[in-house]
Amino acid sequence: MATLVVPAPRSQRHKELRRHLLVYAGLTPFLVIAVFPIFWMAITAIKQDADLYLVDAVPFWFRQAPTWKNFDFLFHNTSYGAWIVNTMLISFWVSAITILTAVPAGYALARLRLPFAENLGIGIFMTYLVPAIILFIPLARVVSTLDLQDSWWALVVVYPTFTIPFCTWLLMGFFKTVPFEIEEAAMVDGCGQFGALLRVVLPVSWPGIITAIIFSFTLSMQDFLYSLAFVSISEEKPVPLGVATELIRGDIYFWGSLMAGALLVGVPVAIVYNLFLDKFITGITGAAIK
Amino acid sequence: MSHGRSVETLSPTLDRRSFLKTTGVAVAGATLGDMLAARQAPAQTKGTNLRILVWSHYVPAYDVWFDKFTKEWGEKNGVKVRVDHIPHLELPARYAAEFAAGAGHDLIYFVGQILTGQYYRNLVDLSDVAEGLGKKYGGWLESSKSAAQVGGAWYAVPDFFISIPVLWRKDLFQTVGMGEPKTWDDLRKTAGQLKAKGHPTGMQFSHCNDANHNWRALMYCYGVKETDPSGQNIAIDSKEMREALKMGKALYDEGMTPEVFSWDDASDNRFLASGVASWIHDAISAFHSTRITNPKVFEQTFVVPEVAGPGGKWNVGEPNVWAVWKFSKNVAGAKEFIQHIADNQKEAMEASLGYNMPFLKDQYKKPMPYLGKDAKLSALQDQEKITAFLGFPGPMTPPAQEVVTTFIVPDMFTKVARGASIEDTMKWGVGEIRRIYAKHKAS
Amino acid sequence: MSWWRTPTARRYLFGYTLLAPAVLYVGLLVGVPFLFSLYLAMSDASVGSPVARFVGIENFASALENAVFYTALRNTIVFTVGAGILKGLLGTTLAFLLLQPFKGRKVIRALVVIPFTLPIAVSVLGWKWMFDSQFSVINWALSRLSLIGTYGSPDWPVWLGQPGLALLSVMFVNVWRGFPFSAIVLLAGLTSVPPEILDAAKVDGASFLQRFRKVIVPMIAPILFIGSAFDTVFTLSDLSIVYLLTNGGPDGATEILPTLAYNTGIRGGALGRGAAISLFLFPLLLPAIILLLRTLRRRQY
Repeated sequence: MATLVVPAPRSQRHKELRRHLLVYAGLTPFLVIAVFPIFWMAITAIKQDADLYLVDAVPFWFRQAPTWKNFDFLFHNTSYGAWIVNTMLISFWVSAITILTAVPAGYALARLRLPFAENLGIGIFMTYLVPAIILFIPLARVVSTLDLQDSWWALVVVYPTFTIPFCTWLLMGFFKTVPFEIEEAAMVDGCGQFGALLRVVLPVSWPGIITAIIFSFTLSMQDFLYSLAFVSISEEKPVPLGVATELIRGDIYFWGSLMAGALLVGVPVAIVYNLFLDKFITGITGAAIK
Repeated sequence: MSHGRSVETLSPTLDRRSFLKTTGVAVAGATLGDMLAARQAPAQTKGTNLRILVWSHYVPAYDVWFDKFTKEWGEKNGVKVRVDHIPHLELPARYAAEFAAGAGHDLIYFVGQILTGQYYRNLVDLSDVAEGLGKKYGGWLESSKSAAQVGGAWYAVPDFFISIPVLWRKDLFQTVGMGEPKTWDDLRKTAGQLKAKGHPTGMQFSHCNDANHNWRALMYCYGVKETDPSGQNIAIDSKEMREALKMGKALYDEGMTPEVFSWDDASDNRFLASGVASWIHDAISAFHSTRITNPKVFEQTFVVPEVAGPGGKWNVGEPNVWAVWKFSKNVAGAKEFIQHIADNQKEAMEASLGYNMPFLKDQYKKPMPYLGKDAKLSALQDQEKITAFLGFPGPMTPPAQEVVTTFIVPDMFTKVARGASIEDTMKWGVGEIRRIYAKHKAS
Repeated sequence: MSWWRTPTARRYLFGYTLLAPAVLYVGLLVGVPFLFSLYLAMSDASVGSPVARFVGIENFASALENAVFYTALRNTIVFTVGAGILKGLLGTTLAFLLLQPFKGRKVIRALVVIPFTLPIAVSVLGWKWMFDSQFSVINWALSRLSLIGTYGSPDWPVWLGQPGLALLSVMFVNVWRGFPFSAIVLLAGLTSVPPEILDAAKVDGASFLQRFRKVIVPMIAPILFIGSAFDTVFTLSDLSIVYLLTNGGPDGATEILPTLAYNTGIRGGALGRGAAISLFLFPLLLPAIILLLRTLRRRQY
């Protein structure tokens, strides 16, 4: 080891540079594909309407001065403020329901060697195969029986139907990686099975749980059909439905406000994602790179 | 609160009708109209709730007017009204959910997808309202029944229809020595000449509502009948349909670019507003939006109600109709509102910038609101004479509706425009339409 | 000691109690409605009269008589499989690139995740505008780079109008939105890979690919498969991208089973036939998924 400790600084820098170049070169196409549309949406969000229809103008820059009026429109001429609050509340409750059901289910399926566990796991997955375009009709009945029609609470009830299966399987994977030994040690120390789960397994599985929360959050924002069918009152709508139904008026698209409305919820979620991802991935990779 | 008028103290449905019957004869039309316009809703609607679901109107200013109009009506009559707007394409999903739930809005609206025939068992029979309005305003247009009646009863009350005329550029037409187009052939020739100069035309070949309307306009002008007048038997397998397909291909080959295969309902509006289009076949909302987005083009854009083909001149309209769920807890309020807006048709038509075409004969008295004042639009005042609806000459039945929502007609025109043989296309299209009609007959 | 007091019995009781909430939730809200949709698919129900006659498999047979159905079936398979492969490849590559330490990593990672975090219904509208036949920014850029002709010339691509291109375009939007998801699932899943093995993933020349194939792939395959399985099933029934971009047109070029089912069953009102179209793949998928999941679980133990 000792002989290798201090390599020539120059060659190391070279190597480092080469590695960086390789990584950047690899990332460039991804960045272009992922970011260009976002950049373009952001530009559109602060463009004046007439500027959008100038055929010979550079579409990703301004010919007329940029404007905040599209944002202004969102907050003053639509219920956008309420949509954001609804989206946050829906996502919060959906995540809560999902975690409370998927964590125990994932753990049970991964760890407890239950008879039929495999079939139950597959059964939970199967629910994903039922298309929403048909499912929303019987669910409308459920929603109205619960007296939740035209309230965002309807979506709190419905969204877990697709977040629970996904998160259960995701968490199953995480729980499998927790070594049996630490759980057994805890049980020897006098914890019951439940105590071991609570005190030992959950604390080491938090990256998985946070991932599940983030996914519940994002999946909730991908729905359009359920919200369309169950919520028609403007102030009760979540952001995606509100934006897609109230910023297109007949053949007039409020392009600027549409884009602004999407970015205002999409970008913060991306940042949150990144913060959490960063925490646990740096942890591992940090160890890996040493 | 006492209004002191005899009408209000009477029970609403029965006595209004007898009132109409007796006074309708005695009092001259104008005074009767005035009297009824001032009429207030009967006391029994007071303190009720009324939920209305309508589309997002293509003239956004109309929705502003409509919301204000309903609010004022509600305040005046002590009804708590709530109006929700959603885009017309999304209405059917919402209706399916409301129907399954057995709860939702009281007063609903069909436009684009007319589901009167599918839902009529669960809709209130509105014959009393419709017949009352018919008597009051000189009768309904014959075409009104298409979207509103099932088996002779009115399960929906027509609100208005959207007409889809030809919008053409006078300045461009003049450069090739053309004046106002009179026939589809004129349109074809002019588009061909102007395409060479960078000004093609376009009608949607894609899966959108406009594609369904525009190609049917051409078909009906070529004498195509989709069914017999009963709507039961298919009649599209005809020489006329083959001619129409041929003309569709000629229009595309000579006057359009492949863009038209990707268009949606709004693309032709932008095509006009960008100054490229020589003509488009679209509702006058395109005309109005161009006024704002490109005033220079707007100045040169003129409107022809429709052009003629070998089978005459037929414009395809899009009906908008009111309906009331049976599960509604405020049927009386919903009926009152339908009457109220029909009584204020002039104001509505004005607010829609001449977009809302009435269904009642008396409302065609010239000058009509807005249209009568606008020289470019005044020709539309006779639009009702040439208007037909989807499924023509049959009514908009469930199978006719399914043919529309699965885009069979636009697909037929697309196939031929792209070079498929007319016979193969007819075989495919007629086969698909037969299959749909057979399914509906079986059930 | 009675059986109920054995540790095994207590473990079972504990386990099923933990499972119960999730199973009951999806069972009641998906399972029961699913039976209802099966019933719909086997009846002649329309939107206005779901109480209908039982017609057996007639609706499924009717789908098979429909020429458009075959187009939709083919497109659905091409769309799902094609987009699935692309998402898997791009997602894996991206995940490994993002594992590398480099300057600006955090920013770049936040940026590439955005397509997945935007509400799909709205970002698709953005793509609609980018694919516009007249105002497309993509065409504008390509045209300035002289890769395509000018507006109105024959080599001006109409993204959503040309048969092959239209399907590719809608697929591309699905991939655009989905590959960050694959990458995240992988990144998250990689937490389960021991660091010593992950070390091999460092980009250090020719041996990387070999190690990748022999060491990393077997480790991440289960995670990737689960992610892809969910994504595939989601893609199979996802209406929004195609519905908002082309609604299946022109002439069926982008028709997929969900759009056909929606336009037949909901907009056209023939609920029974719509349900049959949307459930058509169910009997084919069921054994495939069961097989896949069983193999996966075996491998993981």
